[in-house]
Amino acid sequence: MGLSNAEIVALLLSLKVSSVAVLIALPFAIVVAEILARWRFPGRAFVDGLVHLPLILPPVVMGYLLLITFGAKAPLGHWLAETIGIRFMFSWTGAALAAAIVTFPFQVRSIRLALEAIDPGLRDAAETLGAGPLDRFFSITLPLALPGIIAGAITAFAASLGEFGAIITFVSNIPGETRTLPLAIYSALQSPDGESIAARLAGLSILLAFFGLALSEIAASRVRRMMER
Amino acid sequence: MSMLRIRLIVLLAIALICADRTYAAESKQQITVFAAASLTEPMTEFGENYATATGVEVRFSFASSSTLARQIEAGALPDVFFSANSQWMDYLTERDLITQNSRTKLLSNQIVLAAPLNSPLHAFALNRQTKLSDMLKSGERIAMGDPEHVPAGIYSAAGLRHLGLWEEIAPLLARTDNTRAALALVERGEAPLGFIYATDAAISKRVQVLAHMPTGAHQPIRYEAAILEPENRRAAAFLNYFDRTDTLNTFLRYGFRPYVEEFANE
Repeated sequence: MGLSNAEIVALLLSLKVSSVAVLIALPFAIVVAEILARWRFPGRAFVDGLVHLPLILPPVVMGYLLLITFGAKAPLGHWLAETIGIRFMFSWTGAALAAAIVTFPFQVRSIRLALEAIDPGLRDAAETLGAGPLDRFFSITLPLALPGIIAGAITAFAASLGEFGAIITFVSNIPGETRTLPLAIYSALQSPDGESIAARLAGLSILLAFFGLALSEIAASRVRRMMER
Repeated sequence: MSMLRIRLIVLLAIALICADRTYAAESKQQITVFAAASLTEPMTEFGENYATATGVEVRFSFASSSTLARQIEAGALPDVFFSANSQWMDYLTERDLITQNSRTKLLSNQIVLAAPLNSPLHAFALNRQTKLSDMLKSGERIAMGDPEHVPAGIYSAAGLRHLGLWEEIAPLLARTDNTRAALALVERGEAPLGFIYATDAAISKRVQVLAHMPTGAHQPIRYEAAILEPENRRAAAFLNYFDRTDTLNTFLRYGFRPYVEEFANE
């Protein structure tokens, strides 16, 4: 397709931001899904709603909330920069954080369904055989939930590739730093002669989407075979 | 869900749609105006005055000039279009989407360097000796409309190039998709500096102007208006109102300048 340098930078940045977003969110998603699937406690509906909030809120609102929470002048953002040295503002890490939070519900939903499908008898049996809670989690729950975890991760990855509103509102549109593929397409469309670039990048996005779908199919069938063994 | 409930919901939806239609039919006398986001405040005020004076209701859609021009290209049909630069007017003229002889240059503006109110920096004269990067701490950036497509960013970048400051500044920019987003970053202190319109700085109580971009440093800022369909009398009447001093004064109060040709030849 003859991509220009700037376009390759945007593509690689998109892949980096999405991978990091999924990997950061994954452990949290497993914990939250486990809590929602197995625990009964007051305020559970509230937690459930909170998890789904990014799915319902307009992305621009998410970007604004991120800005007033994790911005350099916001208390939490300031504290993180001072103590751990992580700066989100105008940085690709901020783009990854935005994508992670916006696609978090996809991971939780998928993992939770897998967890709820597990026969509780298996864990009870393991308990009578003397397995501790951690042992039960890692040798029974996690392997059985693996298909759901993989499906959730891939869906979240694909959704991260398309994240636009939260990223542009939170960390703006800096080439090589926060300008992912959708932002590059948007920028190209804004100039009178940018339509051919936008069309090429849109084609690339479609290819990526098919690649993601194929990947999830392969992963699903692998997992199915693994489970049958 | 019970049948009764479904029926109730459907009835409610129909009632809402009908109510909306009746309302729209009642206010037949109206025109639709697409205008650059930087015009939002004075244009809204003018629209209200115009409605009071003529009985014609004005509906506005404010967005970046580029977004609006693309929408018009895609078939949107406002009565009047106000662009923050000539480039997008040219684009629509080339495609025969606006009435060429209705094109009017109306207003001008100025680029300023703004900082949050509590900034420790003091006002200075922007020139070839200015070291803007010295005013930033590590990780901090200068907010500006994306110089690839946002008019305010294009003017700012041209000015900085003219002053020989561009090479130093370009890697330090936080590029926003319109000039109001750049203003918001400066207001919040997320960007300690930002290049915005003088009019943006004027409407904000949370920023101060540190420096002015010298007017000769870039092409004059030109707000243009045009009507889309040649026979649209209501649109022409709306545009004619801009010849009146009280209309102009509304915009001058928000920091705009009248556009004069001599100024263009500076």
